[in-house]
Amino acid sequence: MQSDDVARTVAAQIGERFLGLEPFPRTAGRLRFRSEAALPLFHTVKEQLGFHHLSMVGGIDWVTHREVFYVVWSDDRRQYLLLSADLPAAAPHIESAASVWPAANWHERETWELVDIQFDHHPDLRHLLLPDGYEAHPLLRSFQLHEPEELEVKQRSV
Amino acid sequence: MWINMGPQHPMTHGLWNLRVKIDGELITDCDPEMGYLHRGIEKISEDRHYNEVITLMDRTCYVAGFAWEHLYVLAAEEALHIQPPERAEYLRTLCEEFQRIGSHLMWYAAFVQDIGLMSPFLYGMRDRDLVLDLFQSYTGARMTYEYMRVGGVRNDLPPGFTGHARKVLDWLSDRFVEYDRLCLGSDIFRKRCDGLGVLSAADCVATGVTGPMLRSAGVKRDVRRDRPYAAYPQLDFDVAVADGADVTARYLVRMEEMRQSVRLLRQVLDWLDHHPGPVLADRLPRWLGAPYAPVGKEEYVLKRNYPKGVGFSSIEEPHGEAQAYVVNEGSEHPYRVKFRSPVFANLSATRHYLVGYRVADIPPIMGSVDICVGEVDR
Repeated sequence: MQSDDVARTVAAQIGERFLGLEPFPRTAGRLRFRSEAALPLFHTVKEQLGFHHLSMVGGIDWVTHREVFYVVWSDDRRQYLLLSADLPAAAPHIESAASVWPAANWHERETWELVDIQFDHHPDLRHLLLPDGYEAHPLLRSFQLHEPEELEVKQRSV
Repeated sequence: MWINMGPQHPMTHGLWNLRVKIDGELITDCDPEMGYLHRGIEKISEDRHYNEVITLMDRTCYVAGFAWEHLYVLAAEEALHIQPPERAEYLRTLCEEFQRIGSHLMWYAAFVQDIGLMSPFLYGMRDRDLVLDLFQSYTGARMTYEYMRVGGVRNDLPPGFTGHARKVLDWLSDRFVEYDRLCLGSDIFRKRCDGLGVLSAADCVATGVTGPMLRSAGVKRDVRRDRPYAAYPQLDFDVAVADGADVTARYLVRMEEMRQSVRLLRQVLDWLDHHPGPVLADRLPRWLGAPYAPVGKEEYVLKRNYPKGVGFSSIEEPHGEAQAYVVNEGSEHPYRVKFRSPVFANLSATRHYLVGYRVADIPPIMGSVDICVGEVDR
């Protein structure tokens, strides 16, 4: 199967909110989309194009804006596809993929706490790797690595 | 009632906390609590030279350091547009497959001990030491190797290595037969493992579970075959699968994987015997960081002239599908490094394979997942 059918199918579904499919070595490409189209795009990619396995979700802080990216895999094509959307730095948020790929649950929790990207309608958005109540987001460029930090770990109620 | 199993509990094999909700002996809900081992490896990497990140990779998963080194250097080479020599690719494959055997033996030892068989624990640890001896002979270290480099590997094998390695492989092949007899022939083992922790193929795909857990449900997905890297395109092996999707099936898959690793390693050793050559690319940029290329082989390129790039790699780590995403934005340090840990995804599905079983089933089920907390928390 060719990569152009990916671009064609996605363009048919989300129209102008599809921003192009860039070539990416040894994958089906990197698909750029506008964040409003997240949910219809996820459904298209999973159900029509057959990318049933979500490998990872990650975020990048570009200072001027944030980027959220997804890596999905199709067993039929034996190919990865990268999805990527730019979010405003002021209030970065995107629809959660957990209703489409349940695997997104923990990946989005991690991205939320480390890169400060809000995932709307996430079933269980709370801290995963960092202590409860921790307010900084360590993977932001503004987070200082060399300054000592005092940390108060709260007791988690059982 | 919610109970805490961890952060220090014989079942956890690392520092994490499994909170389980029980009704009598029955598990009705669970919630893994992670983060006790979070060292911020992704953040620290943004402050290191490209080759210095390799030191952190060994510590990401301490029983599969080579797999993580390999994962990172593949992504970094793509981001930096560097091509390693062919011999280095074979040497990396050698490392990764021996590491798979080492990691699976460690899993075997810990897992059988969880279900009450003490002698196999000692056999597993004894045989893993033979693999570690091999690692020590060419890297100088038994756990934290720092052997791979962006652009190749640090050094070639010592004289006589391949002969010695073949002897170890012969020894291990015979031991696998004994392991099977010890475990599959044991009533205790079968009663504690058969039919437990079932996770169907559909659930595996939905929850992102990969590796031996996925293949134990009959799904034939293996990155080494589906998207081959390093020397795998030239090598011949079968993807180990089983059906049953339970604890016993995961045991069978890992045992078969070790046999396939032996098969792969024999091919790699034969190739290495007949194809001498360089193990590190020529003219590597100096800013890759210490310890870099041997003196005289580095090139003094100013970083600002160097092209930007993004690297993505995916490998079949002993626990499953691991991925790295490295962004090179024109400084001596990676701009962003992101890793996907297979155990992270496998653990996120605990609700699907624990609920409905009993408290005493938790150690064999969680043992069969093969947890390495270092790579979950990073």
